[in-house]
Amino acid sequence: MANDPMLARIDELSSAFTARQIDRRQFLKGLAVLGLSLPAINLIVAACSSAATASPSAAASMANLPGTAALIAAAKAEGSIYQTGIPPEWVNYQGIFDLWKQDYGIPINGTSTEGEYSSGQELDSIKNTGKPDVGDVGISFAVQAKQQGLSAPYKNSYWADIPGTAKDADGYWCCNYWGAQAFVINTDAVKITIKDWKDLLDPSLKNAVGIDGDPTKANDSFFAVWSAAVGNGGGIDNIQPGIDFMNQLQQSGNLTAARASSANVLSGEVKVAIKWDYLGLADRDTAAGAPNIAVTIPASGSLASPYADIIAAKAPHPNAAKLWQELIYSDAAQLLFLKGYAHPIRYDVLNTAGKIPADLAAKLPSADLYKNVTLVTDITKITAAQTTLGTGWTIVINS
Amino acid sequence: MSSPAVWNIAGAPSAARSRGGRAALALFPFAALITAFLLVPTASLIWGSFHDSKTGALTFANYAYLSHPLDLVPFRNSLELSLASTILGGIVGLLIAQAIVSSHNSIVQEIATTFSSVAANFAGVPLAFAFIATLGANGLLTRVLLGSGIDIYSGGFKLYSVLGLTVVYAYWEIPLMVLVMLPPLQAMKASWREAAEILGASRWQYLRSVAIPILMTPIISSLLLLYANAFGAYATAYGLTTGFVSLVPIQISNLINGDITYDPGQADALAIGLAVIMAVCIGARALLERRSSRWLSR
Repeated sequence: MANDPMLARIDELSSAFTARQIDRRQFLKGLAVLGLSLPAINLIVAACSSAATASPSAAASMANLPGTAALIAAAKAEGSIYQTGIPPEWVNYQGIFDLWKQDYGIPINGTSTEGEYSSGQELDSIKNTGKPDVGDVGISFAVQAKQQGLSAPYKNSYWADIPGTAKDADGYWCCNYWGAQAFVINTDAVKITIKDWKDLLDPSLKNAVGIDGDPTKANDSFFAVWSAAVGNGGGIDNIQPGIDFMNQLQQSGNLTAARASSANVLSGEVKVAIKWDYLGLADRDTAAGAPNIAVTIPASGSLASPYADIIAAKAPHPNAAKLWQELIYSDAAQLLFLKGYAHPIRYDVLNTAGKIPADLAAKLPSADLYKNVTLVTDITKITAAQTTLGTGWTIVINS
Repeated sequence: MSSPAVWNIAGAPSAARSRGGRAALALFPFAALITAFLLVPTASLIWGSFHDSKTGALTFANYAYLSHPLDLVPFRNSLELSLASTILGGIVGLLIAQAIVSSHNSIVQEIATTFSSVAANFAGVPLAFAFIATLGANGLLTRVLLGSGIDIYSGGFKLYSVLGLTVVYAYWEIPLMVLVMLPPLQAMKASWREAAEILGASRWQYLRSVAIPILMTPIISSLLLLYANAFGAYATAYGLTTGFVSLVPIQISNLINGDITYDPGQADALAIGLAVIMAVCIGARALLERRSSRWLSR
């Protein structure tokens, strides 16, 4: 706590230096007065110098970068961006961080302290600390942030590409990527071809099919049950057929209570997992052939749940926050999400335009299978499905 | 710190009273502990179980589960699981404890006791994973048995079931039985046996008329401890089955931290049901303890 005024002063000096309000000598002097050690001063100066060297006129010449010259200049003048709930290992954010630093050279803060925050913690941080500029939250939290006045409106340059259900009409949030429920199949252990939900009832799959946790608690398995509804006569408005299907799986002895965690998928304990495609694809890569794992999207359809990006209403660096939006919805960053196996929100646009590299497409289930995937963004439908599941699931496990 | 009345230990006339006062003072930490961690939570459970979680109105609706067959399934599963693991753990544990005592080898006794203390406390998620790796559908032992022609899964065994959980629970119930039965077994005096033999008793008569009556109470009280221990266990079962085998502690947890089934009032009511069963077990054990301590005091 005692360090806070010092940090504030360093911030102040750094911004002044980055914005060229003070020169290097004044900057060094200011830092020295704070009683910092020489290595610490060198670190701060090095970090700020890279930001300070690119002048607004230089930025204007980089016309091919996402964001207007004015926005880039304003963001650079702010000196840094503070992010909450955006960890480097999640959906290839590291690649996007690298792109951001390469394009704009603006330091990213908050990753080490708040990178692993859950959506709820992110909103708390925005509300209580006032530090974050941007956050990556589950869809229901994005809606909640708007209701509580925690987010600021901004419509990025790709707004027209984004499906109507995946953005707030007033620009208070916008979905950035999504995952869909998929079958993650251990092809060494499973001898039949699994393409659709009904295939899971095959008698050869005793104790083989698993979901990722307790659906009344975990989002992943909740969507597994709900997706089963899509393939069995129900859908986004009616989860009951999904519950009935799970009950049928349970009665047939095919449903195992072993959780479809990565460990259980890799060890062969769960031979057919119903879970998010990006988790399954990561499992496949981790297994690297031991065992062989195939990931497919159920032919009759499944559901996808998106994440959304929000700008904090009281963002200390509002222009950097807007520039971040410009970057993450750009072609380059959207393809980086896909490389991290999260489907970017502009996936269809990129796919139609033939912008998805063939080697990347080869690692994913085919784009045709994703045509039957429905994006779930309506909070009232989510709540309704959860309520139905709450009572229905007791019957599945207790009967 | 200048309170002479408290420090006046030598005050002869008030000695008896001040000793009583000091005894009360010495009891204070314990009383505070009991109040904070037993009485207050119990009172809040009872209060919560009779109030509606949403409106706060007085209600009996939280106890409606007592009349719904489906809602009693967790109790049935918990009772079955606890009973089965108690019987398995009790019999095997007792035999091992007797073997340890009879060995008269101090190194064996030392090792067995140490291992038992460790194993009795090895539970939760690590134990669940150990069992998945051993007895899961693709576990090592399952595969070895399959290799020698025995398919335990097609034979009806499933690790993620009441039967499977019984085996897992036995992992700590057996060593717990060993630990609690060692003291009474060691306290059996050789002279009792010698006296019986001198009077012409056979080995069976000694067991029936001397050893078993004396040991009966510690055995039953140990079994009750095992039973209560199994009934309250949560982490292992949850780690293994993610709630697919519904047990009372898992049901309570669903009601207090599930996003979907949030109803703390009903959780309180279930917890009262659990507490009643636990109280009966522990109360019965305390009663029996009092009877047997008469014989086994050293």
